[in-house]
Amino acid sequence: MEKKNILPIFSSYHLESTFYDEVFKGNNEVRNTYTELFKLFNEYQVEDFQMLNEKAKVSFLNQGITFQVYNKTTVEKVFPFDLFPKIITASEWSHIENGALQRSRALNLFLHDVYHKQQIIKDGIVPLELISSSENYLKQMIDIEPPGGIYNHISGTDVIKHSDGEYYVLEDNIRCPSGVSYVVSNRVASKRALFGVFNKYPTHSVANYSENLLDIMQSVKPIGVDIPTCVVITPGIYNSAYYEHSFLAKSMGIELVEGRDLFVENDFVYMKTIYGPVRVDVVYRRIDDAFLDPKVFSPDSVLGVPGIFEAYRKGNVTLVNAPGTGVADDKAIYTYMPQIIKYYLDEEPILNNVYTYHCSRPKELEFVLNNIDKLVVKPVDESGGYGISIGNKLTKEEIEKVKKVIKENPRKYIAQPIMALSTHATFIEDEKCFEPRHVDLRTFTLLGKDQSFVLKGGLTRVALQKGNLIVNSSQGGGSKDTWVLK
Amino acid sequence: MLARVANNLFWMGRYLERTEHIARFINVNYFSSLDAPNETSQSRQFVLNSILRMVDDEPDNDEFLDEKTVLFDTVLNTENLYSITSCFRMARENASGARDLISSELFESINKLHHYINNFDTNIFLERGLDEFTSNISKAISTIKGKIVTTMMHNEVYNIIMLGVHLERANIVIRVIDTKHQDAMLTREEISYKTSYEWTTLLKCIQSFDMMKRHYKKVPISKDTLDFLILNPQCPKSVLKCLKNAKCNIDSLNKHDNLASAFLIGKITAEYSYKSIDEIETSFNDFIQKIIREINYICESIEEELFGA
Repeated sequence: MEKKNILPIFSSYHLESTFYDEVFKGNNEVRNTYTELFKLFNEYQVEDFQMLNEKAKVSFLNQGITFQVYNKTTVEKVFPFDLFPKIITASEWSHIENGALQRSRALNLFLHDVYHKQQIIKDGIVPLELISSSENYLKQMIDIEPPGGIYNHISGTDVIKHSDGEYYVLEDNIRCPSGVSYVVSNRVASKRALFGVFNKYPTHSVANYSENLLDIMQSVKPIGVDIPTCVVITPGIYNSAYYEHSFLAKSMGIELVEGRDLFVENDFVYMKTIYGPVRVDVVYRRIDDAFLDPKVFSPDSVLGVPGIFEAYRKGNVTLVNAPGTGVADDKAIYTYMPQIIKYYLDEEPILNNVYTYHCSRPKELEFVLNNIDKLVVKPVDESGGYGISIGNKLTKEEIEKVKKVIKENPRKYIAQPIMALSTHATFIEDEKCFEPRHVDLRTFTLLGKDQSFVLKGGLTRVALQKGNLIVNSSQGGGSKDTWVLK
Repeated sequence: MLARVANNLFWMGRYLERTEHIARFINVNYFSSLDAPNETSQSRQFVLNSILRMVDDEPDNDEFLDEKTVLFDTVLNTENLYSITSCFRMARENASGARDLISSELFESINKLHHYINNFDTNIFLERGLDEFTSNISKAISTIKGKIVTTMMHNEVYNIIMLGVHLERANIVIRVIDTKHQDAMLTREEISYKTSYEWTTLLKCIQSFDMMKRHYKKVPISKDTLDFLILNPQCPKSVLKCLKNAKCNIDSLNKHDNLASAFLIGKITAEYSYKSIDEIETSFNDFIQKIIREINYICESIEEELFGA
């Protein structure tokens, strides 16, 4: 089936052989998974797409499904949504799901080890300096037994499809991975826009995330508590992810609290209600470690709750995720994931890792400095796509600058070959047609006491600028609905 | 319910009500003055002065008021806390702070109005948009209040919102009465206080003109108007009705029968339930000061007792 014969809005869709395109095969044929969708698209004109696109945008804006960007003044923005969904077959999904779960379990065991015996270091698998030099390693967590034995209750694993058609993990996010609210709202929007075709695809629901999250939270309740009171804590209405925080609390039917709503007395945590204090047992915190408790961490934090860490240490409250998980989603630790999985689970890694050079190792540093134009350099402890430089996009002066920055603090940087993120058909408003754009996929994995859950779907993030490989929303990325087939 | 969130809900209710009343006051005053029977009531300076007094920004005696400036200041100026835009922004911020508790439908209706206000062109507003803008705000707030009633559980969340709505309504109705009472005094050389055109305007500002005519079956005069808007237990906007509604709301929250605010609202409601308009009219200014003080006192008591403020 020639693609150009299908629709004029695909006429400027140029496939590049260096990338894997998820919708079209090399000879312009539509991949099997997408043929039904194309039948529907055949009936549409450009104006129809524009209208649907506009309708979705207005609906997101009116519902307040937005995020805030800081740029001198705070601007409320709709997370750009693309109507063309990413569709994943059942077998492909089972590979991703098993892989994401395997990594989350391994990371959990790794965290327990890091904060207890440190056997993996003693056995020479992971070097000590990687842990001790990490800004996210919290010595306050040493010897603490988190309820249910879980550190990373919620993990966001970012995967991409490389030019070889294989999935690779780009990074594990186990501090406060965000984006799940958009998964749910994208589904609502895509069902409305594409109802004619949605029922032709037996797709897994994503609406069950919140009930599973609440189950997981309840499973890690402190010892001695019968029915736990669970809350979500947010930095407040001006936080960029506030919509998500309110969505989570609302869909779980639990309170959304701010630091000032909680207080600690005799090492128990209480929230201030209109009828007086009510004990809180499980806190899903969307506040970074540093701001959690001014008594233990950053003393000038006004977002946190004084004394909450001591209550946690005594087992009187559960923090989800546990403090100090950041040590394991450090990009330097990432490179040891295959060994970490093997060490704790005695399994081969299901999902591939991208080969990584450590700038902390002199030989690798030398290689990196000589090959910056071919590599992606990332700071190990930043999130949101900040501080990343992509070698082939840099000018000579910029390359020299990056070199200087790396040399000043080699521990802070890793480098990876430039990964060829797959492309996916994306409606480009200005061009009024579909063009290929790079995508990745964030999956969401939950771990509780003797239970786990992987959301059958995820946030397909798309870099809306032509050729751009950074998909983060803070960097102008958008998203697509992700259909996982039964 | 969290005390902070309850505070947010209470103030969301108050600011929604305030926004609606300011929008309607400006609209009704401005347009009904155009064909008023007496000269003063028709005067632009008189109307602009009245609008500023109502939002509590009383101009100096001889100050010349520029129409566009006054309308901009009271409607769109975000630097003035009393402007419609500022009041609604506060309503939305408070709604955002309680977003997990209110229905998606309610939040969406609030958010829609927020975007409408933010996207309204200032020049169009000043040239020809006053009626469109203020009428649409009144309509949108009615929709929002409809969502409160029809999409929220009638539990403590609802009662806190409605407590805010009713107390603010009592508060702002008194301010509107006070403003129009002053206007009637100011025009009494042209037209008698008793039959002043300002009473008609007052009733329309509070959406009570039709009901009042139905009730008394005659042209509004001072005493009937004040009686209707202050003491009529069936008029949904009367001060007494607002207090009675607030009493119902606080009683639903008073589960352990120990709220001092519930006692206070009950006591003040009882006083006005057995008052006649003659008692009020003889010392009207004292009454206004007293009731404003009492409502403030109720609000402070609620904030202290329920919200820990």
